[in-house]
Amino acid sequence: MKKTMIAGAVGALLAFGAGGAFAAAPDWGKVDAKEITLFYPGVSPLEWIQKGTEHGGARALRKGETCADCHSDETADMGKKIASGQKLEPNPIPGKAPFIPVTVQAAHDGENLYLRFSWKQPAASGAPKMDDANPVKIAFMLESGGKVELADQSGCWATCHQDSRTMPGADDAKKKYVKGGSLADGKFYDLYQWRSGENKGFNGHVADSRVMEGGAALVSAEGKQDGDAWSVVFTRKLAGGEGDVTLEAGKSYNFGFAIHNDNSAGRYHHVSLGYKLGIDADGDVKAAKH
Amino acid sequence: MSDRDSNTKQEQSGGLLARLRRPSKKSLGGLLAVGFVIGILFWGGFNTAMEATNTETFCISCHEMHDNVYQEYKTTIHYSNRTGVRAVCSDCHVPKDWTYKMIRKIQASREVWGKITGSISTPEKFEAKRLELARREWARMKSVDSRECRNCHSLESMNTEVQKQRARKQHELALEDKMTCIDCHKGIAHTKPQGMTDEDEM
Repeated sequence: MKKTMIAGAVGALLAFGAGGAFAAAPDWGKVDAKEITLFYPGVSPLEWIQKGTEHGGARALRKGETCADCHSDETADMGKKIASGQKLEPNPIPGKAPFIPVTVQAAHDGENLYLRFSWKQPAASGAPKMDDANPVKIAFMLESGGKVELADQSGCWATCHQDSRTMPGADDAKKKYVKGGSLADGKFYDLYQWRSGENKGFNGHVADSRVMEGGAALVSAEGKQDGDAWSVVFTRKLAGGEGDVTLEAGKSYNFGFAIHNDNSAGRYHHVSLGYKLGIDADGDVKAAKH
Repeated sequence: MSDRDSNTKQEQSGGLLARLRRPSKKSLGGLLAVGFVIGILFWGGFNTAMEATNTETFCISCHEMHDNVYQEYKTTIHYSNRTGVRAVCSDCHVPKDWTYKMIRKIQASREVWGKITGSISTPEKFEAKRLELARREWARMKSVDSRECRNCHSLESMNTEVQKQRARKQHELALEDKMTCIDCHKGIAHTKPQGMTDEDEM
């Protein structure tokens, strides 16, 4: 009797535990979808977007406008112009996809945030592989409270600098960073990535430098390719450790994401503008409780 | 005989002076008519000559303009567009109002000196001077609140609703900050010069 009770209790705990991890994953067919078109950004780092002689929107940026305020409708056209080498790309790659439309869905269950990205694989360029191991990598970043300069306006651009690796003339060892980056001061971006070849999720951050490990929030990152359709689901705890942005219901966070397509690496990715992720709150992408 | 001759001459000269002193109504009318015709011819000729210097053909008759700025302009929307309206050199660079046009034409005479001395006679010389020349024209345009742009465009008559998102946002900000066209539209018809500074962009 005692054994039966103990076994029952253990079973119930296991079932509860398993439920906590798996049963709460949303029915994606019922979750609102937001279309966001990623585009090829070429060499347009944070320094470039603030330079009035180069970027006509620098003045608007100084006035507090966001990149998306002016560009969210034209990312595909921007990608075409840049990928073709017409602008901002000194080394155009023939056949490089200029843009990738992505469907983004988000939900939470009070414990975890679920983020699903799905997109159609663009045609391969046939260019030499920069990352042999991973045909595709997808990453997203979160920032809380606009503590990082320009994070509220420019999304991931606040981490992208002209002296970072793969930028023209830059040091190969220099990674992404934010100005005055400090985990202690909350001046950082929380970073998540899934790599297709390694089939592995990473949880790092970008402060004074980019690190791919160390985060405690990532529960799982799972991706699959069905024909030419990709879908990747990240599950992360709303809470987190050092280098993780703690997510709270009723708040919005700076959010941006990028895809390294076609075995690319470094700056040769497709990126989103800066958006807001709302947890039971207003945002470009809203994660409602289900 | 000789006395008679001298008398006749005196009569004639006295008569001419007298007639000039007291011209007949007919001669006055004639003089006015001739003066009027000459005036029209002079004015017409002057205006025709001035208009001739306002044509695109005249502007690009110098290789300095033809080989540099004209080639750049030919790739822009002010040269070719969906509505078929073209703004030629003078539409942007010469005022329409007569007084300002005259002042601009007089100022432009220094360009003749530039032509004679060959100050921009090669592509290299032109590039070396492009920023200085552009800054001079930007300053002129700004000082008159982009008058020549406003001969065709105005923020007030713009329907930003039908503009692209980026243009809409920029024009709304410009209206809010009382900016003028040339503040943002440098390089709209020609290549932007190298070496621009933040001061050149406001």
